Amino acid sequence: MKIKQDKCTGCGSCAVICPVEAIHVADGKAMIDKDACVECSTCYRTAVCPARAIIQERLKWPRLVRNIFSDVASSHKITGVPGRGTEEMKTNDVTGRFGPEDLGFSIELGRPGLGARLASVELFTVPLSRLGVEYEQANPLTALLADGDGHIKDDVKGERVLSAIIEFKVPSAKLTDVLAIIKELEGKVDTVFTVGMIARAGADGGLPIIDVLSERGFPPRPNAKVNVGLGRASPGGGVA
Amino acid sequence: MTHSLHRTGDASSLERDYVILAMLAKGINDSAPAASERLMRAGAIFKKHGPVNIMMESLWTISPVITVVYDDENKVKQALRALKEADLGISIVVSGLLSGIQAATREAGLSMHTVHLSLGIFGCKDKLPRSEVLDLTTMCGHHCISPANVAIQVNRIRNLGVPVDAAAAELAKPCICGIFNTSRAAALLMQLAEGDDKGL
Repeated sequence: MKIKQDKCTGCGSCAVICPVEAIHVADGKAMIDKDACVECSTCYRTAVCPARAIIQERLKWPRLVRNIFSDVASSHKITGVPGRGTEEMKTNDVTGRFGPEDLGFSIELGRPGLGARLASVELFTVPLSRLGVEYEQANPLTALLADGDGHIKDDVKGERVLSAIIEFKVPSAKLTDVLAIIKELEGKVDTVFTVGMIARAGADGGLPIIDVLSERGFPPRPNAKVNVGLGRASPGGGVA
Repeated sequence: MTHSLHRTGDASSLERDYVILAMLAKGINDSAPAASERLMRAGAIFKKHGPVNIMMESLWTISPVITVVYDDENKVKQALRALKEADLGISIVVSGLLSGIQAATREAGLSMHTVHLSLGIFGCKDKLPRSEVLDLTTMCGHHCISPANVAIQVNRIRNLGVPVDAAAAELAKPCICGIFNTSRAAALLMQLAEGDDKGL
């Protein structure tokens, strides 16, 4: 993002709306801290500037990844889904991506609201790769892994994003190992992260995984996202 | 959308906050006969059942997903029942209190297929804004709502006499998915306006 200084009146409307506090008014003009800015376009998209001084710059690699991971209006070419996520469990009744013996995880670095450097992703992806997790190929973050060891490509490590979601699945037998990695890294990151876990409901609608998580010191919050099984691969087909 | 999952707040507040989405599966049922038309029909059902907020209709034709938020569990039940009857064959996901979703799906004659549980927030939580502010900012699934704007809207209500509904609508503007719950936001903003300034 860029603020045209000759047009800016210094009203500060853009500074108020910036989710990561990257805009400040000094000497009567709004200025963007380019290192803090995650290129989410919120200041531009919400049209808060009465002088129309905010413009979207044409971004080049590697800064472009900030926009891909931070701008809700930016659909990644692989996912086709607006934002930084994927279909994950949302279409699991159609795709069968997560089977009855699988557990899915979403570890989102930078959420809520603090943002993250892509270098911090490596803290997680190196031990997770050692564990042999299966990364979601449609997730744009997976494309930034440089190797099978979970290292992030060097040229994007310094980029700051609103958040980045590490999406993967493991056999349920590896639950304890994944939780141990999360526990170990909780005190080592310089930002916040959220953790979500995906599981199939039992045939009776039961969710025994909730008790298992509680026993291991990770009691789920009362919120959940539930796919109610109305999707089908074709109009006359069955649920995956 | 993953992050309608991580909306914060106490149970009494969250029980007025349910997000539903209808989604086509890329490369599988997104080009099946009249896929787009079936997605539109899901959107029409969402709209018919009294949402608090809904994705702008201008986006319905260019997005593989339509999103909506309700502040009443009964409306969720009715919307789910209508979606079941419509038999659109596209994925429907409900996000909110698990106990409420279980009740709504059961009463609509549906069963849970897959769940995404929230295990919470970890790491440098001391860097986060106070919890009442977070309850508001986490209602945008892509986190486009700034804590600074929460403080500004509280000030407008408290000192400029701005109606709380107008302040909530102003706060909702960056959320293009239409899942920012303006009804719940109004209640939360009022609590903040009547409370102290610490951390705002």
